[in-house]
Amino acid sequence: MGVIDVEHVSKRFKLYKDRPGSLKEMVTKFGRKRYEEFWSLRDVSVEVEAGTVYGLIGHNGCGKSTLLRMMAGIYKPTEGTVRTEGRISALLELGAGFHPELTGRENVYLNASILGLTRKETDLLFDDIVAFSGLEQFIDSPVKHYSSGMFVRLGFSVSVHVDPQILLIDEVIAVGDEEFQRRCFEHLASLRNRGVTIVLVTHSMPLVQTMCDQATWMDHGVVQASGPSLDVVGEYLAQVNRQEGEASEAAAAAAAEARVEKTGAPLTVEGVEFIDAEGRLTQFGLTGEPLTVRIHWRANVDVEWPILSFAVDSESGQHLSTAGMQGRVEGLGPFRGAGTVDYRIDRLPLAPGSYLLNVAAHDPRGVTVVDRLDRAVSLWVRPGHRLVPGILDLGGTWGVPEGVAAR
Amino acid sequence: MTAVTEIWSYRNLIYNLAQRELRARYKKSILGWLWSLINPASMLLIYTVVFGTFLKGSAPDMGNGDSGIFALYLFAGLYLWNFFNGTVTGAIAALQAGGLLNKVYFPPACPAIANTLTVLLQAFIEAGILLVVMIVLGNVGWTLVLFPVLIVMVMLFALGFGLFLSIYNIYYRDVGYLVGIAMNVLFYATPIVYRLDQVPQTLGGIPIRRIITLNPITQFVGWSRDVFYLLRWPSLASTIGLLVVSVGTFLLGAAVFNRKSRLITEEL
Repeated sequence: MGVIDVEHVSKRFKLYKDRPGSLKEMVTKFGRKRYEEFWSLRDVSVEVEAGTVYGLIGHNGCGKSTLLRMMAGIYKPTEGTVRTEGRISALLELGAGFHPELTGRENVYLNASILGLTRKETDLLFDDIVAFSGLEQFIDSPVKHYSSGMFVRLGFSVSVHVDPQILLIDEVIAVGDEEFQRRCFEHLASLRNRGVTIVLVTHSMPLVQTMCDQATWMDHGVVQASGPSLDVVGEYLAQVNRQEGEASEAAAAAAAEARVEKTGAPLTVEGVEFIDAEGRLTQFGLTGEPLTVRIHWRANVDVEWPILSFAVDSESGQHLSTAGMQGRVEGLGPFRGAGTVDYRIDRLPLAPGSYLLNVAAHDPRGVTVVDRLDRAVSLWVRPGHRLVPGILDLGGTWGVPEGVAAR
Repeated sequence: MTAVTEIWSYRNLIYNLAQRELRARYKKSILGWLWSLINPASMLLIYTVVFGTFLKGSAPDMGNGDSGIFALYLFAGLYLWNFFNGTVTGAIAALQAGGLLNKVYFPPACPAIANTLTVLLQAFIEAGILLVVMIVLGNVGWTLVLFPVLIVMVMLFALGFGLFLSIYNIYYRDVGYLVGIAMNVLFYATPIVYRLDQVPQTLGGIPIRRIITLNPITQFVGWSRDVFYLLRWPSLASTIGLLVVSVGTFLLGAAVFNRKSRLITEEL
């Protein structure tokens, strides 16, 4: 028995085609069914153990937020039961219940009471809450003068300080600046260490991989996989990649044809593959492990030497690095037709997460781009032998400490 | 019963919601809290001029034997009407604006109860002013000890009514509009700006005075005037009747609300 037991829960919503709205419509449309039924959840069972961090993942509209609201007691199940133990704090929307005309101070007390705290309890926590939000200077101004970031920071700060036994979080951590996010994660980690049970709805796979013990992947209201988070994320990503792969293959094939016909580029990029240490095709890279990027190209005319490059962008679009081909081997070429070229990485320096590759083909001097495949493929990186926070694994090794030996 | 204990455990939230309401109400106004006096005062002035002076409305003699003062007679009913009206319409508005219920769990009756507290405070202020005037005029008596009973009865009656209507207003917004009109009708179907004995026994065959007498608000207003103005003890029959009606309305409204509000978050 966990602290949250969701047993065979189904949830039906009524989607009104045409809301009844007025009495006249009620009379004229009497007896007609005015809504369609929509099952947001179908026979979902989830058990969350005390003191663990649980991730809920899946596409938009898969039912994970509905499930979270069920756990919070906001929605009642149509079928099945939801049982929870202990004080719940739900972060479905930060700063919910803030009144714009009231000051930050007044809103802290208000919000804390919404989350179930008494005035005395709030008095004790007040300084911590304000310090965490970093808004000491503005705490006595009306929150309508706050920026959206400040608003959310204060809301988050209240929510995580109410000392919940269960914390339900819906996508809200992706707020504030880097520094505040870091503090959020540190605080969540310390809550976890204190034995708080956390349920997290998120689209960020690295977050699930690094924070969650267990996870459930949902699709169209049905549980697809449940278990240790790394396995569940793996299954989810594999499926996402399959779907994306199918879509992008079709698109790439169509694009390739169109490109040749339209531009008549001498050299075109046909596709990208990843190959792991054992020489097998893979969808994933592993941090600190070897990975080979294989680019498929086609020379549409006689090409002296194919010059290719690829750029790696982070999920947020930040350009991390570009690898361009240099030099050529005497006695090889010219080429014509299809071919491949490998870029071998001995130790993949990327931390777990997802990255995008943009591939380009250049003219023989490597100056102008003759063809490009933007966002050609996603590279999903999973943790290898060691866990690396941040975006890069520096790949170094620590020496032995040198100093004076204690007696 | 579990609903009651649950709401009790959220009393701090109710208090804070009420406080938020009050604090935010007069922010950014120069006169601030004075508005809570100016509003009823302006109503009182208008009704006194129109119904007392123009239409020559008169009031019965006061409990201490002094000749009647129309404005005070009117106000002894008006503050109670304001309390009833504010509680019912406030309960409907509180649930309709309850976007918060979608984000955090708490008993859905909390906003309506919090609103009732703010209206209650206003009623105390208005009744307090009435009391001060009565003390100055030397028209006070032991009947005033019944004031808390009266307020609790009206509160139960109005809250039961408001909770009941607030649920149906979520499904059919017509309810809110209808209540607006019904409140207007009810105000004039209650002897507040006139006296009950000015109403004809029948009007086109309809026993109009009987109907107005049976209106619970008429009875509540009558009680209030007994307590504050006429200084006489209300009749036992009317007391028992009002107790039954107010407790009954509250239990019925609360029961319907409790049953229906289970799924209300999906409709907000």
